[in-house]
Amino acid sequence: MRLAITGLNHTTAPVEVRERLAVSADALPSLLYDLRHVPGVTESMVLSTCNRVEIAVAADEQCDTESALAGFLAKSRNLEEAWIRPHLYHFRDRDAIRHMFRVAASLDSMIVGEPQILGQLKDAYDAARTSGSINGFLDSVVTRAFSVAKRVRTETEIGQSAVSVSYAAVELARQIFGSLKGTKVLLIGAGKMSELAARHLERAGAGEIAVTNRSPERARAMAELFRGRILDYTNFTGQLHEMDVVIASSGAPHFILTRDQMKKVMAARRNRPMFLIDIAVPRNIEPSASELDGVFLYDIDDLQRVVQNNVTSRQTEAGEAEKIVADEVERMIARLKARELTPTIVGLQQYLEGIRSAEMERMRGRFGNLTPQQEEALDALTKAMMNKIAHAPIAELRRQAGSGQHHHFLDALRRIFHLNEG
Amino acid sequence: MVPADMSIFWLRVAVVLYAAGLIHAIVTVLRRQPAWFRPALAAFAAANLLHAVSITESWFATGLLPANNFFQSVSLCAFLIGVFFLFVYWRYSFASLSVFLFPLVFLMALLGSTEVPVPSWSNDGVRSAWLLMHVALVLLGYAALILTAVASIIYLIQERRLKTKTASSLFDKLPPLGTLDNLINRSMGLGFVLLTLATVAGMTWAFIESGTRWIGDAKIAISLLTWWLCLVMVFLRTSAGWRGRKAAVMSLTVVGCSALTWAAHVGLRPELMK
Repeated sequence: MRLAITGLNHTTAPVEVRERLAVSADALPSLLYDLRHVPGVTESMVLSTCNRVEIAVAADEQCDTESALAGFLAKSRNLEEAWIRPHLYHFRDRDAIRHMFRVAASLDSMIVGEPQILGQLKDAYDAARTSGSINGFLDSVVTRAFSVAKRVRTETEIGQSAVSVSYAAVELARQIFGSLKGTKVLLIGAGKMSELAARHLERAGAGEIAVTNRSPERARAMAELFRGRILDYTNFTGQLHEMDVVIASSGAPHFILTRDQMKKVMAARRNRPMFLIDIAVPRNIEPSASELDGVFLYDIDDLQRVVQNNVTSRQTEAGEAEKIVADEVERMIARLKARELTPTIVGLQQYLEGIRSAEMERMRGRFGNLTPQQEEALDALTKAMMNKIAHAPIAELRRQAGSGQHHHFLDALRRIFHLNEG
Repeated sequence: MVPADMSIFWLRVAVVLYAAGLIHAIVTVLRRQPAWFRPALAAFAAANLLHAVSITESWFATGLLPANNFFQSVSLCAFLIGVFFLFVYWRYSFASLSVFLFPLVFLMALLGSTEVPVPSWSNDGVRSAWLLMHVALVLLGYAALILTAVASIIYLIQERRLKTKTASSLFDKLPPLGTLDNLINRSMGLGFVLLTLATVAGMTWAFIESGTRWIGDAKIAISLLTWWLCLVMVFLRTSAGWRGRKAAVMSLTVVGCSALTWAAHVGLRPELMK
């Protein structure tokens, strides 16, 4: 049995190619059905996301999975095989296991450490299970990939830092307030980026999102999005002390919030921390306001620096994650080998036990019933003999399996002891 | 009853009423929102009135302003602070001052009421249990204050980190400021309550044990100073919202004074073993 993966991703194929190969969730069952009829393929799973399309199969040793899968992929999408061939990668056995583990652990993602891929892989697995395309060998590799992904998440910090500006803002808010439940947010200006950040904050549990904007229409539109209230643009500072997070993105050419205003606001808040996010250019909040106690002021450059640091730290963590993956690949291979050897080992033990019990029976016929003591002694003696006979070939089989050269020996062993019959 | 006795009687009743103010302060600090202010204010006003009666009685009995000794002057001072608070409250509705002044006035009035000794312990078991309770409360209070100081320092580091916008992996695992703030408020509130109860227990114990001799002792002065600093810290935090550097320095000062108090009191042990 061999494992093979063929597919393409954001590094090997541009979006024009990826979109032609993408498989919708509705089309998945029929594709899996067709895959079952590819000669030599015993199990299959299809993973299709915006960044990758991959087919993973378990197939017979003799099957040329590379051409079979490339041909299948082209045919099923009505494309020229020669057109997609340059974009495809193909992995077999150890490399295929490693690839699957890396994908699950989000090491092969466009944004390393992003968490969605694991969910997408789980969906692909569920679809394959539902359509009966996955059952033994491939199943064990995929489920192992889920545990590897979990191990990578818990043992490294690969997914812990935000790598987008709007999400970095939410992460910083969490470091200031802890839980964001009930936090009050004010949007000054109704730009796209502040909407995105506000949406993240809302999802994280922010209690109220208020909006103020020079043009009341846009303020109203934004307030409707978040079911928030509108503050009057000319005197919103009167209510500023109630707000915990302020996102400023107005197009005003001067400071809307000065240090002196913030000083009063902080006194009214009794110095409770306040998070000011100034993503406007030119800036909306006087930079020296950040010198005030309890004021945490971040402008667009600061946020981008946070993101850059996080990207760098993710790369460091990815190195750690690769080590975990390498370790898990070795374990998986050892486990698969053990699984391959088990039927032969059990067969050999059963074969020897058959001889032993038949001989014991024959002896009872010849010498009549034995006393329980004699029976026990003979039983122990013959069992010890059979175990010693079995020990040498089993030990050698395991040794050979360790070096990967066990197939001939396995075959010879099965023939010598007639393990292939019956 | 002679007028001097009457004076101390009214003062003791006033102390009991002032205790309502202390309870208000304790509940406010623990709940972190004003609690039972109205009844406490009524009790405080009544106590202040009785305090005036007590001072007047004493004045008439001796013909002198009752500020002749430590006890009388502390009592008088407590009375004046009470009047001052009632005036400020009536004029400016400055209610949050109560968290600071109610416990202070209570403790000062209690101190003033220990001028006339009471009969000594009737039961040795009660005497040692009382002392044990005082020591246990003090130690628990210190533990809470040390926790406050540690959390304040971590708050300071985390605040610096967020202010300077430096990502340092060493401090990445620090809890959020909000969480630390909660922890500081809780541990400080608890520390204050424990220390207040411990001070009251200690004062009454010393009063019954040795009449008025204890008051001149330096370690008593250090203990009261520590409690007062703790009270100041609680007040500045709850009403002025002191956080960050100021709060860290304040809590370290209180812990430092607590250590001094403890060191001064360890010397007491051989004396008590007699």
